[in-house]
Amino acid sequence: MSAIVDVSRERAESTTVDVCIIGSGSGGATAAWELARAGKQVLVLEEGGDFVGGALTRRDGMYDQLYMERGGRSTSDLAISVLQGRVLGGGGVINACDVVPIHDSVLRHWQKAYGLSDFSPEAMEPFRKAALDDLSANMPSESQLNENNRILRSGAATMGWRGEVMMHNRVGCVGLGKCLVGCMVGAKRNPRMVAIPNAIAAGARILLRARAVRIDDATRDVKTVRVRTLDPKGYHEQYELLVRAKLVVLAANAVASAQLLLRSGLGNEHVGQHLSLQPQLPITATFERDVELFHGIPQSYAVTEFEELATDTHGLGGFRIEAIGGTPGIIATVLPKLGQKGKEQMKLLPHIAASLLLVPDAGNGTVTVDAKGRVQIAYAMPEEQKKRYRDAAKAAAKLYFAAGATRVLIPTAIPVVLERLADLGAIDALAFEPATTPFLSAHQQGSVRFGTSPSTGGADPSGQVYGTRGVYVLDSSGYPSSSSSHTMTPIITTSRYLARKLAS
Amino acid sequence: MALAQFSVVTRRRFLKALAAAGLFAGGGVGWLAALRGCAPSVPGLRCLGDQEHRTLTALATALFPEGGAFAAGAASMDLARIFDGYLADEDEDRQSDLKRALLLLEYGPLVYDHRNVTFSHLEEAERLAHFERWGTSDELLRRQVSVAFRKFLSLVFYDREEVWPEIGYAL
Repeated sequence: MSAIVDVSRERAESTTVDVCIIGSGSGGATAAWELARAGKQVLVLEEGGDFVGGALTRRDGMYDQLYMERGGRSTSDLAISVLQGRVLGGGGVINACDVVPIHDSVLRHWQKAYGLSDFSPEAMEPFRKAALDDLSANMPSESQLNENNRILRSGAATMGWRGEVMMHNRVGCVGLGKCLVGCMVGAKRNPRMVAIPNAIAAGARILLRARAVRIDDATRDVKTVRVRTLDPKGYHEQYELLVRAKLVVLAANAVASAQLLLRSGLGNEHVGQHLSLQPQLPITATFERDVELFHGIPQSYAVTEFEELATDTHGLGGFRIEAIGGTPGIIATVLPKLGQKGKEQMKLLPHIAASLLLVPDAGNGTVTVDAKGRVQIAYAMPEEQKKRYRDAAKAAAKLYFAAGATRVLIPTAIPVVLERLADLGAIDALAFEPATTPFLSAHQQGSVRFGTSPSTGGADPSGQVYGTRGVYVLDSSGYPSSSSSHTMTPIITTSRYLARKLAS
Repeated sequence: MALAQFSVVTRRRFLKALAAAGLFAGGGVGWLAALRGCAPSVPGLRCLGDQEHRTLTALATALFPEGGAFAAGAASMDLARIFDGYLADEDEDRQSDLKRALLLLEYGPLVYDHRNVTFSHLEEAERLAHFERWGTSDELLRRQVSVAFRKFLSLVFYDREEVWPEIGYAL
């Protein structure tokens, strides 16, 4: 029997294993590798398919297959697009490859504010190093920085602001620039390319197009995971099978892990609460010269001048400005003008630079499920956070003008167009009402946060969900505050740490 | 591909919008149907009806008109059929929500502008102006419908290879 079975094409039977892992991204794949290596019989369930090489077409149509809800997941009020991978390898397949390890200040905040003494910088250090090894973390070369990223660096230098080229996990990158819809040349050293093959070599098995819909018997020695198989495109459920396991590991992302617990009636009142979406606001600038943000590495430079690594309230604070590129369809979705003006706007595409204003938040969101078990995401943005977006937009505008931009655009429903520094005051009017601003979230965290008691968290510091015996969360759901501006590396770090404890 | 976002138009919210416009107290269902008129038959649709296809086509051609900055436009692309293909693979609840969203858009000029005309019968410039008002409306529902349709149609229009040379893009 093959180690990877696509149950949309090959019928699978109910089975019994030591460990059932739900989700194959950074958390699930790493846990599978660790637990299989420790001799456990591991089965991984993944809703998505397996996409490598030429199956990754570099087209906008890939959002349909690589992202949860066909790329359409959002908060219930449509204020924020929630981007979440649904593919073997998870978010690492469709992210921008930024390697930003969890900072000591964050771990200290977790110790101080939440009593999580297990997550000390000292305890984490070997696992951070291991994560960097997994990812073949390296610095992009100078020639790999595209014009969109260089503009950001140039503007920051002119302003005298701190910034950095971010480490990434690309090896053999040829600069296709389509990272957000997967890498057809396989240059991403992501969980699909590293942890999954290692987990399989250690004996793990994987079911694709397998959706976990409920966990039963969560306090018994053997738990039952109800699984519905999907069709080859992942659109419709087909038949049901059962996976019985001594341990169940949730690693389906902060939204889906909480959703499954809620569907199963498991956990305490913290499950589904404290969701961090870390929303990002796009901003664009027009230059006379060619930028071609759609070619080359989309995101390699970050302005860190305004980032705060330790706030009393929620750890990471301030904001970052990070360059971003993408395919034309997804770029068009965030630009505000329509009709002939919209076409004129897209005609300028080669001259447009773009970045994302990343604002770490305080876990203002919730995950709930409706009567049919479908996920509902709510998010309330406090005024303090809105002010940081306005501050970030002003800073980005100053930077772009310093770099030679002729125009800066904040793409809200009523667009804010700045043609000179004197126009910055227009940003003060931005209220960010729902469905007026193209916010997007790529780093969901914290819906089943770790706490030292059921009164403070949904899972204990080992990841075990309170009220269960042997059901664990080993993904970003457990984070009590934002772990990093980019979550892949922290998730690999903490998943290995917790999985190794679990194995022992 | 952005389809989940159409779940905003629940039956309750749809009826509320129509009731707020007083349409149930007016000429009744027959009058509404007459105002909407007949739509050309479109063979091969999997989910949308002819009327819904017409509404969506009317929107797509307003958002992406022929000519101007570049020649390509939605008129020759049948983006509504692409939408139909996506929608057909969604669950029944979402299909119903979307159909209500299209119906609300079709009757938008009547409901919100108090004009005795439906969206598909407006001139192209009027359709665009009407839809743009939805995007900046004080009413969350209209903004949500605007976001959902605009995102979907933008994604599929600019994913068309014939558009790429016009906007300086190449794989």
